Amino acid sequence: MVTYLVRRLFQMVFVLLVVTFVSYTLFYVAPGGPLAAIGQLQGAKGGKIREEDLVRVMQQYELDLYHVPRFLRWIIGEPRGPITIFGQEILGALEIGCLKEGQAQRVYPDGRVETTNCVKPVYLKDLVGRTTTLGILRFDFGRSQQISRGMPVMDLLGTRIVPTLVLMGISELLALLIAVPIGIYSAVKQYSRFDYFITTVTFVGSAMPTLFLGVMAILVFGLLFKDIGLPFLPAQGATSNVEIAVPLFGMITPESIGDKLWHLAMPVGVLTFVNLAGWSRFIRSSMLEVLRQDYIRTARSKGLEETTVILKHALRNALIPFVTLVVTLIPAVFGGAIITESVFSWPGMGRLYIEALNLSDYPVAMATLMISTFLTLFAFLLSDLLYPIVDPRIRLN
Amino acid sequence: MSDKKLWRIASVLAAGSMILAACGNATPVIQTVVVKETSAAIKETSIVVQTKEVSVEKTVQVQVTAQPKADWSTPHPILSDLKVRQALATCVNRDDLISSVYPTLSAEDKAKLRMNTFIVKGTKFYDSNAIDYTYDITAAGKLLDDAGWTIPKNGGFRENANGDRLTLKFLTTNASFRQTWSAVMIKQLEKCGVQLAASYVAGAAYLFSPQTGLRRRDFELSAYAWVGQPDPGGETLYACNQVPLPTNGWAGQNYMGWCNQAASTAIRLANNTLDENERKKQYAIVQEEFAKDMVSLPLFQRAEAAAYNKNLKGIKFDATQYYPASVTDWELPGKDTVVLGLSQEPSSLFGLVEDSYATSLVNQFLFSQDITGYNYDYQGPGMVDQKLPKIDNGGAKLVEVAVKDGDKLVNSTGDIGTFKGGKLLDGDGKELTAKVKNLKGEEIDLKEGVMMPQLAVTFKFVPRTWSDGQAVSKADYQLGYKLTCDHTSGAVSYDTCDRTSKVDFATDTSYTITYVPGYTPPLYYATPLFGAYPAHRVIESEGPYKGKTLADVEPKDFGTLKEILETPLGDGPYILTKWDKQQRMVLTANPKYWGPQPKVKNLIIQFFAESQGAIAAMLQGTVDIIGGETLPGPDKSIHDAAAAGKLNEVVIPSATWEHLDINLFVK
Repeated sequence: MVTYLVRRLFQMVFVLLVVTFVSYTLFYVAPGGPLAAIGQLQGAKGGKIREEDLVRVMQQYELDLYHVPRFLRWIIGEPRGPITIFGQEILGALEIGCLKEGQAQRVYPDGRVETTNCVKPVYLKDLVGRTTTLGILRFDFGRSQQISRGMPVMDLLGTRIVPTLVLMGISELLALLIAVPIGIYSAVKQYSRFDYFITTVTFVGSAMPTLFLGVMAILVFGLLFKDIGLPFLPAQGATSNVEIAVPLFGMITPESIGDKLWHLAMPVGVLTFVNLAGWSRFIRSSMLEVLRQDYIRTARSKGLEETTVILKHALRNALIPFVTLVVTLIPAVFGGAIITESVFSWPGMGRLYIEALNLSDYPVAMATLMISTFLTLFAFLLSDLLYPIVDPRIRLN
Repeated sequence: MSDKKLWRIASVLAAGSMILAACGNATPVIQTVVVKETSAAIKETSIVVQTKEVSVEKTVQVQVTAQPKADWSTPHPILSDLKVRQALATCVNRDDLISSVYPTLSAEDKAKLRMNTFIVKGTKFYDSNAIDYTYDITAAGKLLDDAGWTIPKNGGFRENANGDRLTLKFLTTNASFRQTWSAVMIKQLEKCGVQLAASYVAGAAYLFSPQTGLRRRDFELSAYAWVGQPDPGGETLYACNQVPLPTNGWAGQNYMGWCNQAASTAIRLANNTLDENERKKQYAIVQEEFAKDMVSLPLFQRAEAAAYNKNLKGIKFDATQYYPASVTDWELPGKDTVVLGLSQEPSSLFGLVEDSYATSLVNQFLFSQDITGYNYDYQGPGMVDQKLPKIDNGGAKLVEVAVKDGDKLVNSTGDIGTFKGGKLLDGDGKELTAKVKNLKGEEIDLKEGVMMPQLAVTFKFVPRTWSDGQAVSKADYQLGYKLTCDHTSGAVSYDTCDRTSKVDFATDTSYTITYVPGYTPPLYYATPLFGAYPAHRVIESEGPYKGKTLADVEPKDFGTLKEILETPLGDGPYILTKWDKQQRMVLTANPKYWGPQPKVKNLIIQFFAESQGAIAAMLQGTVDIIGGETLPGPDKSIHDAAAAGKLNEVVIPSATWEHLDINLFVK
């Protein structure tokens, strides 16, 4: 078990490193970013882009460094200058970047001449005094460049994690609490009217995109209900701006518990419905498979009560694959729901991520991606560790 | 492959990459001889840059790159013909284009959007004598026939004598709005026998990429929009020296390659003359030449829509002025709070480095609006006696000075340089063109002792206090100048700073800017170079400046301070009291505001993930205002709600106008 765990942890670190490097690279090769923004601001006004502004922006965002040193500084906050060994500085003249490209010839003291494609190289010694992060390994993801300029990314994430945990936690929990009994009942009463009804509803839920469902919910529960004088739900946000009177609910005070629950109702409802649809189908099919097993027939033939057969013998076995599915929800709980949060202007992690992508706020996007990657890997590990617990036939070694 | 093997390989790769990153050819002293420079950011490969030999080491043989043949100097085989261009203009029915994108507008509102020149109708520089190409398919057909493009016997698109079909490449962005009216225009031209091969590309790549698209003139016909300003400007758009070419590093916005000497001279005079009547005369010349040559077809202004609570009074929407400028007049009877919906949140409130509308809009509540830009003109509500500093009212002085060695000055093309040894040299020591302007705006040769105009403008602001009660002082304006013009502050542009000779701070609420000789911007009276920053503000956020004041902060570090980014001290009608990111800002009326006290005590700005969210909140009644920056245009649901009396809708012609550019040259 220990060996397995150690091996998996090493694999996790390796995968995390690869994912980190690939995503970091992709973000930097993608169009847009700070230099394009400078081009947009100055070039669009008809002028040439000022070289000193380019230099400033390149240095600010480390775009003058080659990819590997830049990546290393992002990961571990190093290198920060020449390496000092026994009081001697070495590798100060090591070229680690290029501030200005162009054809140039290097003349070495020994007379050698070398043609390069960099007019203004950046050396290791040039990094002395340059601001850098401590590296993501020390939980320093840098500062936001666009969404909330200058704000530490960790602080920014801190403002979004609670709304996401509340939204996702409640909706996932509700979906679980409803999906499991529905799935069981549907399986036990296969081809009953209830089963047909639930199957129809869940198919609709699975087939409808969240975006469509969210917009429809706003139109019906937000706008139509208000128009016809029914207790309506707020279309946007996590809390109210001012006091608002709602039929049946009375006066709702901003930031009160009632206000927060009122705002949660629609996004939670949409997410619960979407998850519920898939999960109840999953439980139903899993239960149906188990109910056909010999040991269920044996249990019934022993004269056990049907409730005992269903809950003790069938459900426990049917839940084995479901447990692993539920564990993989962990990254979603922290990562948020991009579409739902955007449709309802919910101030969570999913909306933050999509905004970071739209605005090319690389540190924020990378931090969100890294956290999601880590949680996904962690969830997979946890799910593997849970297997032998829920199914004693499985051994990890 | 086993896990162990995989892990070993990965370890070796990881260690190897670290070692490679840390090692290299360590060399004590290297001399770099530049052979050919290219911009690192643009990753230029085709820009022609003067290749020079540098004799740092005599043993070094520097290869000299041959000067490639200049691109974009061959007239377009079809579009260089004026008759074809005029036919294209006559084939386009602008009213139908407008209807395709704004179906809910009344005929009267649609007519207001139609454009016939690059200056908006009814504004002071508009010339009603310029040709207006009205839709006339018969006249268009005749022009094309005369140009040698006839309809074949069996019908179809027009062809010339060689049997070549009249097909033009039409390039525009993939915005659905533009695709909609483009589809109508393509059909209209089809009726004239002109085939357009349309390409719709991502807007950001097409409009802003320095390597491709518009800025490389990579089109035959191209549609996009210009955003108008209170003053028409236009020099970078229509002057001969503003044609983007490989030889000038693709600078300029005259993407058509239009060089009409009369128009070029006129547009430069219009943008460099301070006499308003003279400017009108010059703009009239440009508009008439522009229409006559038909190098670009102005189509229509975009409609800007806004919606607001039906009980809200005093709000004023204008094409060239953000509506928050009217905030002190806003009134919502029976309520002390107004909620404004925005689909974009400011990155920060540091106006010097931010260029987003969200920051500009919010800052209009927090800082004094000393100069406004209603109705394509300027007003000075925050200036003493509401007077803008113009030459005719004594607020500015234009004098002649004799040029002497060592002087900084601006030449006739707007470049700044230093006059040394009879030459005008730029910052890198390269020689600039030696023509300069005299007081009359005429070009003259630069030599020692030649007389050049020098402009000095005195801005006198109404006395005011910061929201903490401290009076705005000379030190605050001095800090503003230091910050705005220090090249490490991160400002969007330092062009005006670089063209400033000196600034005198005479009183606590006024300063005089003296520009370098030759720099006479026509909008000198409407664009104060800098505002005040509260020098006394004590820094409370953690860091090296904690406990110090803003006056002690290095300009490069302003962008790191919470006191600048998120909690600025203002002198405007409102104070920011709370900012819940991604949710809302809460503002309360500033009791120390120098102007009229706002009638609305609290203002809440709610941020939405997208405009549809803001529309839903508006329809639900939880938001009182959504402006043109949030509404993508006239919206049917808003229109219907307005028709039902639930809210008010405003549709105005915006300052943004669509047009069709014609490239007169091929690569």
